[in-house]
Amino acid sequence: MKPDVSMAAHELARRLREDLLPELAGFHANVAAMGAAMLEMIGDEWDGAAARLVAENRAMRALFGRAGALLDDKDLTQASQGEDEDLRISALTAANDALRARLTDVQTHVEHADRKELASLETAIWDVLRDSVASRQIRSANF
Amino acid sequence: MADITTPQLTDYLTNRLPEWHDLTVAGLHRLPMGASRETYRCDLSYTDEHGARQELPVILRRDPPASNVDSDRAHEFAAYRAIYGHGIPVPRMLLLEEDPEPLGGAISLAEDLRGFHNSEYQFQKPEWAPLLPHIAREMWGTMGRLAAVPVEDLDLSFTRPATREGTAAAELAYWVASLDKHDIGAEPIIRAAIRKLERWQPVAQKLALVHGDFRAGNFLYDDAGNLKAVLDWEMAHCGDPLEDLAWSLTRTFCFGKDDLRSGLAPREEAIRIWEEASGLTADPKALWWWELFICVKAQAIWNAAAHVWQTGAGREIIHAYAAWWLRNAQDKAALELMEVL
Repeated sequence: MKPDVSMAAHELARRLREDLLPELAGFHANVAAMGAAMLEMIGDEWDGAAARLVAENRAMRALFGRAGALLDDKDLTQASQGEDEDLRISALTAANDALRARLTDVQTHVEHADRKELASLETAIWDVLRDSVASRQIRSANF
Repeated sequence: MADITTPQLTDYLTNRLPEWHDLTVAGLHRLPMGASRETYRCDLSYTDEHGARQELPVILRRDPPASNVDSDRAHEFAAYRAIYGHGIPVPRMLLLEEDPEPLGGAISLAEDLRGFHNSEYQFQKPEWAPLLPHIAREMWGTMGRLAAVPVEDLDLSFTRPATREGTAAAELAYWVASLDKHDIGAEPIIRAAIRKLERWQPVAQKLALVHGDFRAGNFLYDDAGNLKAVLDWEMAHCGDPLEDLAWSLTRTFCFGKDDLRSGLAPREEAIRIWEEASGLTADPKALWWWELFICVKAQAIWNAAAHVWQTGAGREIIHAYAAWWLRNAQDKAALELMEVL
């Protein structure tokens, strides 16, 4: 879309904050301020969301390939196959949710197994989760 | 849900309070306070049974059809009443209406303490910087004094029962159930935190009335930074007072985007003030447990906010905003506490 969606979202946020917000008070001002902040988030997220989800999904599938071999788990190995073909955000998010649910299961299994040879796998799981949080960080976050 | 109107409220109060003659409602408007309940402010005027004209500024809170916090007017009303007169400043409760019919939802009325501030963001303005140490003493000092109030002196029949030995596990189960109920997708980090928390739980030094949402933004303060009233008791319950301390320390409430907890003081200073005021010890291992628990509780609340939207149960902007703004930060806070950040 032209003009660029991120650019338009940021401009709308600026107009809302600088032009309309001063005209409002109380509850309505608060709603407008939150709306402006959400438009900023949309502007930030628009361009990178698909790339982030594809990268996260790829990292989790790679991890499952490694975990499938270590745990001798054919389902996990199977889950490591494939790529995201439908690149709509809704489809990528659905795939991401399914992969994160499986990651939770794998991590739970590894914790319960308490085997030394799985220590590096557990570290790799935390690496994936840490990278995910870093890539999802929004500019306005307190932390 | 439509906002409450002046004629609606006037009719309701006239019928509900027949001893208040010639009652009028003025200046009714909604306030930008809280994500879980609607808050309104107005001025009541009436003639009392002695014929004297009375002016009464009030706060009205209404339960919405869907909320991010599973509580209700009766619960918060009882919590305020329980702590009122026990050394913790709170507004006086005036009226509870549990029937949703007259005003579109259960409501409570309380005295309105005007002329004070409640913004947590105001603390980030340069002119408030010199007052932050004093405000920190006020906030964590009050929290500590709340922890010290003997629960035997309070009517806590409104809240779930608790024991010193079982309160940590019970609270964890309560919020895990909330997380399950408001499932909006996999939560690998919070589930890892839950597994850690399930392996061991602390025994409370004492039971206390836990506020449940004691942080900057939920108390009134004056121009000198003196705390005038603690608000928003809808998550109050009997439990381990370390829960309130841990809630106030969570990273997502570092409103200055630095290491000052609740935007007011470094973590160690907050703990020191709380210990001095409560006479209790914040055992590091127990406090760590409660801080990680707070990540679970908070994420359950942010997810419930998202769930309200996802299911179409509600469309309050603050629910979507809170979920977008806080969920990943809460994951990051949990990672830090689990030392994998």
